[in-house]
Formats: sequence, structure tokens, C-alpha cells
Amino acid sequence: MNILETKKITKHFDGVYAVDGLSVGFEKGKITGLIGPNGSGKSTLINLLTGVIQIDGGSFVISSKEEISKILPHEVSDYGITRTFQEVRLFEQMPVLDNIFVVLTKRNVFSSLFETHKKFHLERAEEVLKKVDLWEKRNDLAKNLSYGQRKLLEIGRVLAMSNGFGDDSDIFFLDEPFAGLFPEMRKIVIGVIQHLKEQGKTVILVEHNIDIIRELCDHIIVLDNGKLLAEGIPNDVLSKREVMDAYLGE
Amino acid sequence: MDIIPQLIVNSIIAGAIYSMVALGFNLIYGTAKFFDLGYGVLTAVGGYAVFYFSRTLGFDIYISILLGVLIAGLVGYLVEKAVYKKLRARKASSMVFMVAALGVMTTLQAIIAILFSSQFQVFPATISTQTFQIFGGVITGVQLIALAPSILIMFGLVLTLRFTKFGKAIKAVSDDSEVAKMVGINTDGIISKVFFIGSCIAGLAGILVGFDTGIEPTMGFSLLLKGVIASIIGGVGNIYGGVIGAFLLGFIENFGIWKISGEWKDAISFGVLILFLLFRPNGILGKKQ
Repeated sequence: MNILETKKITKHFDGVYAVDGLSVGFEKGKITGLIGPNGSGKSTLINLLTGVIQIDGGSFVISSKEEISKILPHEVSDYGITRTFQEVRLFEQMPVLDNIFVVLTKRNVFSSLFETHKKFHLERAEEVLKKVDLWEKRNDLAKNLSYGQRKLLEIGRVLAMSNGFGDDSDIFFLDEPFAGLFPEMRKIVIGVIQHLKEQGKTVILVEHNIDIIRELCDHIIVLDNGKLLAEGIPNDVLSKREVMDAYLGE
Repeated sequence: MDIIPQLIVNSIIAGAIYSMVALGFNLIYGTAKFFDLGYGVLTAVGGYAVFYFSRTLGFDIYISILLGVLIAGLVGYLVEKAVYKKLRARKASSMVFMVAALGVMTTLQAIIAILFSSQFQVFPATISTQTFQIFGGVITGVQLIALAPSILIMFGLVLTLRFTKFGKAIKAVSDDSEVAKMVGINTDGIISKVFFIGSCIAGLAGILVGFDTGIEPTMGFSLLLKGVIASIIGGVGNIYGGVIGAFLLGFIENFGIWKISGEWKDAISFGVLILFLLFRPNGILGKKQ
């Protein structure tokens, strides 16, 4: 069953179509790889599905509910969607621990007014930060972390949203989470993604590393020039001639 | 009366008032990300609310103060909901926000002048008639009382931002409002409450100025300018910076006119502002852009 579907969505920038009449579905509880050459529309698709930019045409269906033609950033968490960014975006002036705490804050502002985080919030944050190996850095400002640590903190924030104390997220868009990471850090991220799948969450993974795609993904979608080029089981799709031509340059 | 202790006392009092305006201004700037020129007029709203409740309706002065603070907060909150929230939804530029804020300031000033006239007014009662000698300087009871809220507000804000969920949400919105939305923070709700709190602080500053020297519809603009200068000197958007900038400005202003006419006070303030803009545009504690 698809938890998220796009129906003929389009997005163009100055007449150039970044996403061109794309209709794809993401199956619930599976890891779907979103691949394609640079400029194929992968990140644009994620930005459209998370309200960072608005679609020019078409619609979405989320959790088999009504079709919607617009999704705004503040509605994203209401739909159970969360994401990471290709260029890491953290709350830079806040300590690592607080970057997780804000996610664990209840959505209602009135209930959060003058409340402090309690022991169970700290335990949850500790659990998350230990998973991404940042517990020792919990009091450091996010801006002072290394590139890899910043990526891990963003992953940690996503993980905290998988079982937070507000509206739990069900759909996780991870935009190149392995880029620039050391091998040990990659192992951590792989563990997090597998943990999300075990929890029955849906993961949409944008990634260039084909070995990781083969290892993690249940299904892959290949984009080229904003259109669907191929989709299916990784080994089948990656052996297709048109995919190799477009993506692998073979 | 010794001149140096008196200058120090005057500097501290001026710094306390400026710091309240700077604190509220910085809080709003940090989250809403625009120069809220309409912020200053909320000092007059607070002052005139106290004037109305205590003089026209004959309420107890302390109840009038409480109502004055809340009304200033409410007006700030309503302006945010009616004007700035709608501009944010339309992704208006910071210039549009600034012009809108200028419009808010002019409108509220005009309404106050229509309702209460443009004449200088004083409250019918005061909270203290005593004067004290401190190291040879004279300080009035009102001035002494004015010191307490500025210090309490500063520590209150710092503790709220550091330890409460609300404070962390404010910092998150201030840092990256788009990501804050995506992780489920009600950014509009946070900004509205920040406007309420910031406007309450402005109202209180206006009330204290009213007790010290009196009120007039345009009082907010000069206070806003000093608050803005203090914020820039200290580092725009930085809570501690605003307070440091405010007290520094208070001292520079008062010691600057030690040997010359008091008319030079504003010229000195703006001279300092220009120096900071030229040589340290991020202020003392401001982060580099």
C-alpha cells in the first residue's frame, strides 16, 4: 500500500521543467531509493513533497486521504512527514541537546509555555544522541560540530521524530545522508535507517552510492530530467540499459 | 551633590530604561526578523493606558500599571496578528515590513493624540515620592524602582530561553523558521507570543518613563531609537548584547554631556551608533553575518 503518491506533479524554473508530470508512489514501511543523475529532479521532488517549494501542477495523496495540491512547511509534520537536507540545516545557535529537545516539544504552544523538559525527554534525547554517537557532544553548539557530526545530528533529529512525544512521523525523506561521511559514520546512518524500517516507518532515500542503495532499499525510483525513467527492485532496475546510460554513464 | 556619582546614577537609570526597550526589540527582531519601528509606540500605549485607568476611571495605580502592561501586550499581539502575520504569509520583503511598522507607529500615535491630545501629561498618583542619596548622587524612588524590572526581565528572559520548551522553540524559530515549522513548531504561535511579551516589556518601560518624567504620544519614537542604538551596539538579536549596549549607551550619553550642553545627548548617541556601524557593525556580542 502506498503511503504517499504523486499524481502528474510538475515544477518548472524559468521555463525549464525540474519535475515534469511525475506520478510515483512510495510504499508504506519500505525503504525507497530515489536516484538519478545530478539535476534529475530528486531534491526538487523532496522539496515539493515537504512544502519548501510549491508545485505548479498535479497533486499528492498522503496516507490514502484526499488529494491535495498544496502542502506548506508548517503542515508537513501534521502529515507525519519529516526530512533531512542536502545542505545540513540545524538550529546552529543551540546546543546539540536542544536541537533534539525542540523536536520532543509538544506541538501545542500553550502546553509548552513555561514548561521545562522532564526526565523522560532527557532519556529520549540521550537514547537518540547515543545512537548517532553525539551524546558526548550534547552541550556543544551545533555550529561548532564537524561536517559529519552535523549530518549525524540532523539524522538524530529525524530519529527523535520517529517516536517523539508529539505527532510521530511516518514518512522520512533523507537527502544524501551519507555524503561526506566517514565509514564509521555511514554505519551509524545505515543502522538508523534500518531501525526506522523495523519501526514500520517509510523511508525515501536520495543517494548516489549504488552499493548503499543495493544494501538498503526495497524499491528504487530512477528520475531523469524530472521524469520517471524506471522503478522496481534495485538489482533489476540497476541492470537496465537506459538506467545505466542515464545514471551510470555506461 | 557630587557630579560624578550623579552622572553614574543617571547613566544607570537611562541604561535600565533603554535596556527594557532593547530587550523587547531584540526578542521580536530575533524571531520575526524585521526592524519593528512600530515597537516604540507601545511604550506610549502602556503609559496612556495607565493614565486612562488611573486618572479617567480612578483605578488604583497598581491595578492601572498591571492593566497598562497587559494592554500594551495585547495591542502588540493584535498588530502582529492583523498585519505582520499576513505579510509573512505573503512572503513580504523586509522593506515592506518596515514600512508597515512605520504605518502602525503613525496610526497608533495619531489615535493616542486624538484620544488624549498631544499635550504632555503626568499620572495622577506616583509609586514613590522618596529620594535617596547614593554615594553623593540623588536617585528618586521611581528611578530606583525602574532598575528592578529591567534586571528581572533580563534574567527572566535568559532563564526562559535557556530552560523552557517555549524558550527553546523561540530560539529554534529565530535560528531557522522553515526547519522549525518542519519539526512541528507552531512558528506563528511562537512569534505572536513573542510580540505579546515584547510589547508588555515596552508598555512597562513607557509606564516607568511616565512616572519619572511624564507621557506624550510621540514618546515612543525617541525611546525606540535609543533601544535600537543599544541593540546595535550590543549586537542585534542578542539578549545580553541589548542590555550591555543599553547601559553603555546610558553612560556614554550622560558622561558625554558632562562639560557640554544636554542638547548634545542625542548627537552623541548617534555618533556612537555611526562609529559602531563603521567599525563593529555586528556589535559587541553580535554574530558575524
